[in-house]
Amino acid sequence: MALTGAQDDASRLVETYSPMLLRLACTRLETPADAEDVVQEVFLKLLTARPAFRDEEHEKAWLIRTTLHRAADLKKAAARRNVPLEEALLASAPEPEDRLLAAVRALPEKYGAVIHLHYYEGYSLKEIGKLLGLPAATVGTRLARGRERLRQSLKEEIE
Amino acid sequence: MNREAYRKAFDAIPFSPDFRDRTTELLRDRLREQEKEEHSMHVGKTKKLAVLIAAAIALLAVSVSAVMLWLSPAQVAERLEDPVLAAAFDSEDAVLLEETAQVGDYTVTLAGLVSGQDLSKAPAEYNGQLVSDRTYAVFTLTCTDGEPLEELPDGLSYSPLVSGYHVSAVNAWTLGATCQSFVQDGVAYYLFDTRNLEMFADHTVYFAIYEGGVPDPATFPTAEDGTISLAEDMEGALFTLPLNESKADPAAARAFVEGTGLEFIG
Repeated sequence: MALTGAQDDASRLVETYSPMLLRLACTRLETPADAEDVVQEVFLKLLTARPAFRDEEHEKAWLIRTTLHRAADLKKAAARRNVPLEEALLASAPEPEDRLLAAVRALPEKYGAVIHLHYYEGYSLKEIGKLLGLPAATVGTRLARGRERLRQSLKEEIE
Repeated sequence: MNREAYRKAFDAIPFSPDFRDRTTELLRDRLREQEKEEHSMHVGKTKKLAVLIAAAIALLAVSVSAVMLWLSPAQVAERLEDPVLAAAFDSEDAVLLEETAQVGDYTVTLAGLVSGQDLSKAPAEYNGQLVSDRTYAVFTLTCTDGEPLEELPDGLSYSPLVSGYHVSAVNAWTLGATCQSFVQDGVAYYLFDTRNLEMFADHTVYFAIYEGGVPDPATFPTAEDGTISLAEDMEGALFTLPLNESKADPAAARAFVEGTGLEFIG
């Protein structure tokens, strides 16, 4: 069956944004399966709500923000069910990569997103500001504070 | 920590190899359902919503976001007995946003907006003048922890702000804004209206929902380039409104700001 424009658009969304959104969701969530559920929900929400975007940057910013909010919601729900979430994550993190992931997930929300968009996706402070709706100076402050918290967290883990 | 180590950690996360295929198929199924619904001429609005929700639930293995169950902006206007505005929210001129943010213990969703002349059966009066050229926005508040709201939260303010203009000069108070609200099924709904914001569309136009009163520079610092932000220690959210830049009217905007007499205050 021939694909409609909207169905082509669905493929484009998934191909273009899935890898970035999955990794971003993993800055808040413990398991890849939870991240996959969140990203599917975000794509479905986009189809249901049909927001109007000015351009692709606006679309990307909406997807990033919605993913972060939904992942944070899920993390809070998990925390209510299992209070010592961060402790459990850190305790079950023997490999350096796992320790780093656990430390990123333990960061406050406002630092985790900025750290990830800068370190993994390579966005500048100004670009992150546009994506998250923050002034570049605030992004810079959050990046510095997040980095310091990560440094302390990883140092304590090693010591 | 360096960038390479950071990337290595995230690259090692074992996502499902078929995630893209599964998700693409899920979205296409969803679109087919939507197309079927849109072609059905005999399904009433309420029934149609129920079918859409059922389809979404069937397709989602995970829990369905409550946003799908909420009233649309047009339904909010209908609930507030303004069928003229409901029709405007259903028109092509309306913008559906569904952007969410956290404000304290609440999740705020800016659902949609529409701007224009005579869009409501009851245009607002400001300083004795009827101002019928207005922007209308619908937003909702829910408790982030999932508890249903029973009454409207206290202490929140709502205001448009415009980059490049002093927050004391362009805000809900100077723009003659009004707000109607109600709680239904655990969700607080707000219909906010203000003098038409499209005259500012060549600037970044924000919609702030925050704890506090009349906007001031301590709550909303302005950077050198005119960008407005929320102070770090304040609870609130700043949405950016996607207004049509071609509808900007710099002369009207300037006249409005000068008319407030507040553009130069420190």
